[in-house]
Amino acid sequence: MTEKYEFEKKYRNQVLRCSACGFCRSDCPVFGATLRSSYNARGKMLLLKEVMDKKVELNDELIETLFQCTTCANCSTHCPSGVEVPEIIKQARQDMVHIGSCHPVFKGMHEVLQKHTNIYAEDEPADIEGRRKETAQYVYFIGCVGAYREEEATAATLQLLDQLGVDYTLIDEACCSGVLEDVGYQINTDLAGKNIERVLDTGAGAIITGCPYCSRTFNNKTQFAALKDNGVKVFHLSQFLKDFDFGVQTDKRVTYHDPCDLGRHCGIYEEPRDIIRKIAPNFVEMAHHHAEALCCGAGGGVRGAYAKNSIAMARRRLAEAEAVKAEIVLTECNSCVHNLSNAKLRRQKFKIYNMSQFISELLKAA
Amino acid sequence: MDSKTKEALIKIVGPDNFTDRLIDRVSFSYDSSGLSRRPAAAVWIENTQQVADVMKLANEHKLAVTPRGAGTSLTGSAVPQEGGLVLDMSRMNRVLKISIEDRQVVVQPGVVFDDLNQVLAPSGFFFPPNPASGKVSTIGGNVATNAGGIKGAKYGTTRDYVLNLEVVLPNGSVLHTGSNTMKCVSGYDLTRLFVGSEGTLGVVTEITLKINPKPQATTTCTATFDDLPQAGKAVSEIMCSGIVPSVLELIDSANLEAVNQATDLDLPEVAAMLLVETDGYTQEEADRQMDRVVEALQNNHAGEIVKTSSAEEAEKLWAARKASYGVLTRLNNNVLAEDLVVPISKVAEMLAGILDIGKRHNILIGTVAHAGDGNIHPVLVYDGTNPDEVERVKKVEADLFKLALDLGGTLTGEHGVGMSKASYMNQEHDPVFMQVMNGLKNLFDPNAILNPGKLGLEV
Repeated sequence: MTEKYEFEKKYRNQVLRCSACGFCRSDCPVFGATLRSSYNARGKMLLLKEVMDKKVELNDELIETLFQCTTCANCSTHCPSGVEVPEIIKQARQDMVHIGSCHPVFKGMHEVLQKHTNIYAEDEPADIEGRRKETAQYVYFIGCVGAYREEEATAATLQLLDQLGVDYTLIDEACCSGVLEDVGYQINTDLAGKNIERVLDTGAGAIITGCPYCSRTFNNKTQFAALKDNGVKVFHLSQFLKDFDFGVQTDKRVTYHDPCDLGRHCGIYEEPRDIIRKIAPNFVEMAHHHAEALCCGAGGGVRGAYAKNSIAMARRRLAEAEAVKAEIVLTECNSCVHNLSNAKLRRQKFKIYNMSQFISELLKAA
Repeated sequence: MDSKTKEALIKIVGPDNFTDRLIDRVSFSYDSSGLSRRPAAAVWIENTQQVADVMKLANEHKLAVTPRGAGTSLTGSAVPQEGGLVLDMSRMNRVLKISIEDRQVVVQPGVVFDDLNQVLAPSGFFFPPNPASGKVSTIGGNVATNAGGIKGAKYGTTRDYVLNLEVVLPNGSVLHTGSNTMKCVSGYDLTRLFVGSEGTLGVVTEITLKINPKPQATTTCTATFDDLPQAGKAVSEIMCSGIVPSVLELIDSANLEAVNQATDLDLPEVAAMLLVETDGYTQEEADRQMDRVVEALQNNHAGEIVKTSSAEEAEKLWAARKASYGVLTRLNNNVLAEDLVVPISKVAEMLAGILDIGKRHNILIGTVAHAGDGNIHPVLVYDGTNPDEVERVKKVEADLFKLALDLGGTLTGEHGVGMSKASYMNQEHDPVFMQVMNGLKNLFDPNAILNPGKLGLEV
């Protein structure tokens, strides 16, 4: 059989292996928010199967489902048949972009990152006050959302690092551009090169990232292999902070939202909880946690392209925080903080923080 | 679909609840059976009145309509007519009433099985039938197929719990069956007629279920066997030993291998494993029943017998068992799940026959069974892209059906007939039975618009 598209060449057996059992109905956040079966993993795999059978063409008609996936990996984590849905979707998106079918928002994002160094096309450098040194033990890498949308949280994080006496420096960041691979394009090697060069210039032995997505891009993508080759390690902030003793506690009822990029994609579940155990004895898990955690709805470009459904997903997650009567919702991803905060209803009185921001506030109040 | 019908449907359900988009039509073409037919359109239903209005319209236009829940049918019973209309009922998903004092719950058809039991959990009550697809399958779908599951031997199937139904008939009129009481012989038992009718007689829009107090204590045990039929003999002895286990499941070597690939359970890859649970209102009660089970297992040469009272460990086992259909595609790209039932005394003979048939046609068969009620699921694992294998799979299927019927069994215990077993109905049932079935269908649905091509009916 002639294989027309790359996704067929790479994932034909995977697509066929989907037994259409439908178990992903309980895992897919887009389906959970819409109850529309064409949006869940089974709906997508059946569509791709029909593409492979030459019954359906890859074209603009398929954008709405193939580009509406947060790549949260809840489906693949729990798929009895072991189908790697996010990888298949990402490849199918690349095939679609190749033939000229793409969601306009993602096309725009690609164009922005050809001209700018951040996804928001802001030419001014991020207004973040933090250490800038010629050399340091660590580079603290903020990420686009932290630098341009969650500045307050980032400022608090930097303050915490200062208070802990961490020898770090900021750099003139460029977007890691990992998201481009998610939405049908390739990582921008120019941007990757700039980041690598600036990190290596500092002589730092490790990068601490505030963004779990940047962390996994640096660790897993070949475009950033030079970091590893030069002995530079990459940690997410939660991995770095877990061994510190902060000497402060809250008696508030705290819950934790596992970011998909940190949890399901990197397997980091316990480090954030290790920190929480030290600072918040009144900790409670939401109904879905660890590998079962609901996605906040921001990933895979869905926040930009399908804002209404993205917010609906965030509201499902916040309803779980409300159900356990949390006063504080902690997470470890600026993108999650941003989307959850946007979706919060007025009656929901809990506060949403990045862990480091919350610790910083506790220290301030102490 | 012609524009006039489309406009009329949009008028009934609203523009956001109608679709003739390709992505949705493809998705609604399938259920979990692998069969498919492309509908012209679908509507998402929000209330009974919409169903009534849609059915009236469809009846006038002779438009084929297939109601659908989560689409987890393994027989094609949720696959629509080519060019037909799908009624997606999954957004009618509210639990309308929980009445512990009456031991009843009233639900809309789109409520998910597991969600209902989560809602009931704080009250100490539960809805016992426990289909493997329960994390996604809807109560409406459970009713349409008379779904069973791993608790069947002790607690029965969906039919045993449905007290009454609200059903929209094909002409748009709304029928109320049964009563809100625990007993009722006031007229024909139409409730039981609709349960298992696979959406061929009416569209269920409200369901009143009987619920049970949940036993608080359980004991679980696993037992290994070097020989599959020997495990069947152990099942027969357990069921004669004076107790009824709440779960008595059999898993064969192919399934154990696939489960191990999918989980970190590290199950022993032996010819067969029995998973047994006993339950009671005290631990002593559950344990005492388990003692009888262990005795029967030992009498039948079980290898390793491992007991646990840990709910968490047991939960992992049940989750793995429930995913067994999907996990088998790890061994090849296509699976076909059968649903045979034989008298309990014939379980060992059926298991031996399955091994023989698989060997004869050179097709891998992974077998799981709700062995306690004689319900055996041989799952055929094969390469769906190889025409020769597909042909052999058809022969295996025919041989399995013949053997089950020869042993006094039935084609299906809980999955239903759907499309996949429709052509075999004449083998199981005599002409008079089929004549009565067709007569009933014609009485309820003279224009044959509801879920055509299912159950071996003439229309």
